Amino acid sequence: MMEFFRLLKWELFRMYARPRTYIGFAVFLLVEGLVLFLLSRPSIQRGLQNWIENVAGGFDHFFSGLTLAFILVGGTVFLLGAPFLSLVSGDIVAKESEDGNLRLLLARPVSRLRLLMVKYVACQIYALSLFLFISSSALVVGIIERGWGGGYVVMTPEMPHASVFEWGEGLERFYLMPLFLVVSYLPLTSFAFMLSCMRIKPAAATITTLAVVMADFVLANFPLFPLFKEYRDWFVTPRMQMWVYSQYQDIPWPKVVENWAWLVGIGLTGFVLGWMSFERRDIKS
Amino acid sequence: MLKVSHLNKRFGRRDQPAALNDLSFTVEKGEIFGLLGHNGAGKSTALGIMLGMVYPDSGEVSIGGVSVQSRRELAMSKTGAIFESPNFYDYLSGWRNLQVLTAFSGGVTKKEMEEMVEWVGLKERILDKVRTYSHGMRQRLALAQALLPRPEMLLLDEPTDGLDPDGIVEFRKQLFSLRDDFGVTILLNSHLLSEVEKTCDRIVILRKGCKVYEGSCRGLEQETLNYRIEVDQWKPLQRVAGQFGGQVQADEGLLQWPRGKDIALLVSALVEEGVKVRQVTYLQPSLEDLYMKVRQKQGEESG
Repeated sequence: MMEFFRLLKWELFRMYARPRTYIGFAVFLLVEGLVLFLLSRPSIQRGLQNWIENVAGGFDHFFSGLTLAFILVGGTVFLLGAPFLSLVSGDIVAKESEDGNLRLLLARPVSRLRLLMVKYVACQIYALSLFLFISSSALVVGIIERGWGGGYVVMTPEMPHASVFEWGEGLERFYLMPLFLVVSYLPLTSFAFMLSCMRIKPAAATITTLAVVMADFVLANFPLFPLFKEYRDWFVTPRMQMWVYSQYQDIPWPKVVENWAWLVGIGLTGFVLGWMSFERRDIKS
Repeated sequence: MLKVSHLNKRFGRRDQPAALNDLSFTVEKGEIFGLLGHNGAGKSTALGIMLGMVYPDSGEVSIGGVSVQSRRELAMSKTGAIFESPNFYDYLSGWRNLQVLTAFSGGVTKKEMEEMVEWVGLKERILDKVRTYSHGMRQRLALAQALLPRPEMLLLDEPTDGLDPDGIVEFRKQLFSLRDDFGVTILLNSHLLSEVEKTCDRIVILRKGCKVYEGSCRGLEQETLNYRIEVDQWKPLQRVAGQFGGQVQADEGLLQWPRGKDIALLVSALVEEGVKVRQVTYLQPSLEDLYMKVRQKQGEESG
């Protein structure tokens, strides 16, 4: 086990020493800035004020740093979460193979399974760090804009009604979100990882993952495909929305557990298929 | 130390030619052994199988008595490897690269790393990013990582490719030192005949996946050496060369000269005869020549 953690430490070291790892962080900051700019437009401000007063009461109290941070996180994760996580997960094995580094690693006394486990866990840690960064940077922006304290009001299309919290509980709920997001994105990171384990270019792994996720999303949600509506539970992207449960007034734990089971199951299936493919592969220049 | 037994490997469909066809040989402890062959002869495939990265269709490789196919991790704990193009994590320093790679072998002490870095001559630049390294420096870093922790067996895939002459000489000295001072057994995979001749105790020649020769480099020595020669009169040359047992093909300017006789004897004899000698160049035999020689030998042996 110590061996595993030592390898994980160096995998994470390599990941975070690589400049392209930070492209995601930088782009998320830019998009947060863009969303903030849009929110400052008077028409959007008026709409937001009307909505908050309708669902929670006093606008000044409930349009807090936390509420603003949630809007920033929701917008940026929706826009950029899938592309950046599939980029990192699609890269993690395929890029090493393309660069010729994989042979250096496999010339060492390490099994292919252990190597993949280290890389897979590193992917999930990267996802968690990215979501924590997005949440924390959004909160910092929110606090700079609206100050410390106040209420927290959340509403998304998936929620039956708005959730309303005071600052302390709101902060706890807000920081539950990154954990839920990591589990929600498990199918995506695992699918990209699975492709990365195959004899494939890193860009192809990323693009194929995005194409599959987009197709799943469109089939599950697009009104032109009403026939698929009754099969919505068979699609993956609706289950990937489960991170929103962390923001419900009362967290629906049975639904959370059911969805986690699905998401973890799909994630592990992706890992196992990737491993099986990688284990059978001849690694050659 | 290394035993390769009846390796067979075919990539792709069954009608594709075999990459390796019943390859067997043994490398004794403390030997520098050459695996020689043209591009595509199957050298890298054989090396991949020795490292457990390529699965053979049949056959087995054992290192220090441990099967690579059934106990790869244990076999690799005795082995270091260098690949033809030394790729590292360019955004990390040489030192960090060594730390990352040796972590997969259970880690080594700082002192061991410092000693190795000094031995390969990278002390001054080890903290610089690898992207700033020359090809020669990358090759030295590759050697350092392959030797950490101290392996019993070193597998080298075209290690001198792209090195300048100084780098090649330096690298060769290091290989001799590894064998003589540290008792490391070395398998060298190359298509450069001259390099293999200067370095290896014994060789295997591969052609289209088949072993066509196994033995010492001297076993392949030809009875005559080929020279390109340019003179102002060909008839005296034919006569004088004939006196020493040489043969001249005047139309191609080729001279076949008996091995063991100094070519200077011919030059001085020609000068005494008043022949102007403008050029005498030794023609290094090509791999193709060696194959022909091997085939010829095999033909003679089979009667």
